[in-house]
Amino acid sequence: MTDAKLSARNVSVFYGATRAIDDVSMDITRDEVVAFIGPSGCGKSTFLRTLNRMNDTVANARVEGTILLDGEDVYAPAMDVVELRARVGMVFQKPNPFAKSIYANVAYGPSIHGLARHRDDMDRIVEDALRRAGLWDEVKDRLDASGTTLSGGQQQRLCIARAIAVDPEVILMDEPCSALDPIATARIEELIHELRGRYAIVIVTHNMQQAARVSQRTAFFNLGRLVEFGATSDIFTNPVEERTKDYITGRYG
Amino acid sequence: MNSAAPLAARRRQRNAAERRFRLAALAAVCLSLGFVVFLLGTMAVEGARGFVETRVTLPIDLKAAGLTATDGEARFAAAIDDAATRAFGRNGPACLAEGSWMHLRDAVRQDPALLVRPGSIELPASSPVDVAAKHDGTPAAEAAVARLTAAGALSRGIDWAFLTGADATDPVRAGIWSALKGSLLTLTVTLLLAFPIGVLAALYLEEYAPRNRWTDFIEVSINNLAAVPSIIFGLLGLAVFLGTLHLPRSAPLVGGLTLALMTMPVIVIAGRNAIRAVPPSIRDAALAVGATPVQVMFDHVLPLAMPGILTGTILGLARALGETAPLLMIGMRAFIAAAPRGFTDPATVLPVQIFLWSDQIDRGFVEKTSAAIIVLLVLLLSMSGIAIWLRQRFEARR
Repeated sequence: MTDAKLSARNVSVFYGATRAIDDVSMDITRDEVVAFIGPSGCGKSTFLRTLNRMNDTVANARVEGTILLDGEDVYAPAMDVVELRARVGMVFQKPNPFAKSIYANVAYGPSIHGLARHRDDMDRIVEDALRRAGLWDEVKDRLDASGTTLSGGQQQRLCIARAIAVDPEVILMDEPCSALDPIATARIEELIHELRGRYAIVIVTHNMQQAARVSQRTAFFNLGRLVEFGATSDIFTNPVEERTKDYITGRYG
Repeated sequence: MNSAAPLAARRRQRNAAERRFRLAALAAVCLSLGFVVFLLGTMAVEGARGFVETRVTLPIDLKAAGLTATDGEARFAAAIDDAATRAFGRNGPACLAEGSWMHLRDAVRQDPALLVRPGSIELPASSPVDVAAKHDGTPAAEAAVARLTAAGALSRGIDWAFLTGADATDPVRAGIWSALKGSLLTLTVTLLLAFPIGVLAALYLEEYAPRNRWTDFIEVSINNLAAVPSIIFGLLGLAVFLGTLHLPRSAPLVGGLTLALMTMPVIVIAGRNAIRAVPPSIRDAALAVGATPVQVMFDHVLPLAMPGILTGTILGLARALGETAPLLMIGMRAFIAAAPRGFTDPATVLPVQIFLWSDQIDRGFVEKTSAAIIVLLVLLLSMSGIAIWLRQRFEARR
């Protein structure tokens, strides 16, 4: 309990009158990878987006309950959204690099937060982020090329580098591999293994093998509720709930 | 086999319909191209003559006339009349343009040798002679042209004064520069006002404004505003800028303000469409690394929307450049004999100048009108060129 990085308590999310998330509570610790699985429309992406308040941009979304980041209430008026998103980074389903150079893509976050004092500092941050995202060797000779000229898998790793560059504590990944081919997917999964321990990682995925491969704990969502949350090995081999079992064996959802 | 025959007939029908449609479309394209070629062709042929002036070479002996460089208009004019009568007979002075004495004065100042020994000087022909020399004129002018041609005194040259001069009552001396400068000053005011306000309004409406009845009302109003006849904007300008604010009449400042009112809705609509076309994923990406909404807008949305915004702006400005009616309402139809020096000087603009010249009785103005239209078209085409260039520049950065 005390070493929880992110902690959700009785969280419900509404879109207008529709309840998308119903009374979800969970703790995520600082050195694990947590996978969210569940059928389409079960609310796992919605829940992910409440963790760094990306749902604020949706006009009629409303959140109840509390989400604590290191014990601080994320939805408290005193919480600065800009700082929150610097601490809780996000990678999206479709690779979405800025229409700028590779260098500028990675440098954008650090520059708006003022993390680099000199050009040299920035060069170091960019190189470091690209190395950690496993992209440095592929792009070091063409940092001025547009980020959109990269392949899909490279673009997604660029997006991960962009998120890493502001040195977050948590990285949220919303189906990061669903638009990628198997080889690019394997690259991203390797990367998640390498990043584990440095950042708390939450990954939403439709691919159950992927959840089994990359995560230590898995949460199964259905119809806006958290059905089961436990060690990944238990969820996939010995689920407690009947619905979880039906879902992972492909009988349902 | 039974069902194959009706199917084949139906397929033939569909193919025939396809061919008919393509022919009709092709005909429409050819027709509109034909109109454009016809318009440009007649303008080029008519207007090209407007850039050419007929000159008369006049032998002159100023020493005999006893002229000095500091003499006034009367002495120079008398000297020219005298020389023209001696060279071309009784009707000689009428063959020369009204302001010829100024050419003589300038020539003398440049080359004082003219004062001490006989020489000759090229002077612009009068409007009737100019018209008769280019095509058919009055019988008297045709006779004068015949006489001058026989004397070998007629020549032609490019009328640089047309591009650098101001409006005049004599078509030979009328120039387009005052109207061109008036247009440029007016458009500058329009651009400086309509572009930032229009873009900011578009950004606010797209990115900040909540969706409710008020914003719906504003949206409908802006769309309607873009369709309001331009003369009504002229009336608005007359009432507000001249009537209430007492700004100077006929000034590019007021013209620019009035046209800005007209151009703004066009920029807002084009801007909103361009901003809406920026993928939401880019906004998410920027927000997710901790950008504030303003940073998202200025660092990401605006650069991506810029090509579309600029295209809309230039189209709006091109429309403003060609606009006559609202400017008539605020008095920009005055006779302007000197190019405006600033935003508050009386001025006129190209389309109004064209309108004024087309109304003149003097035949010499016909080709001046066409020539002015060519200047206007060249300006419009170069604006479209700039639009295309800007678009490609911004798209290359992606």
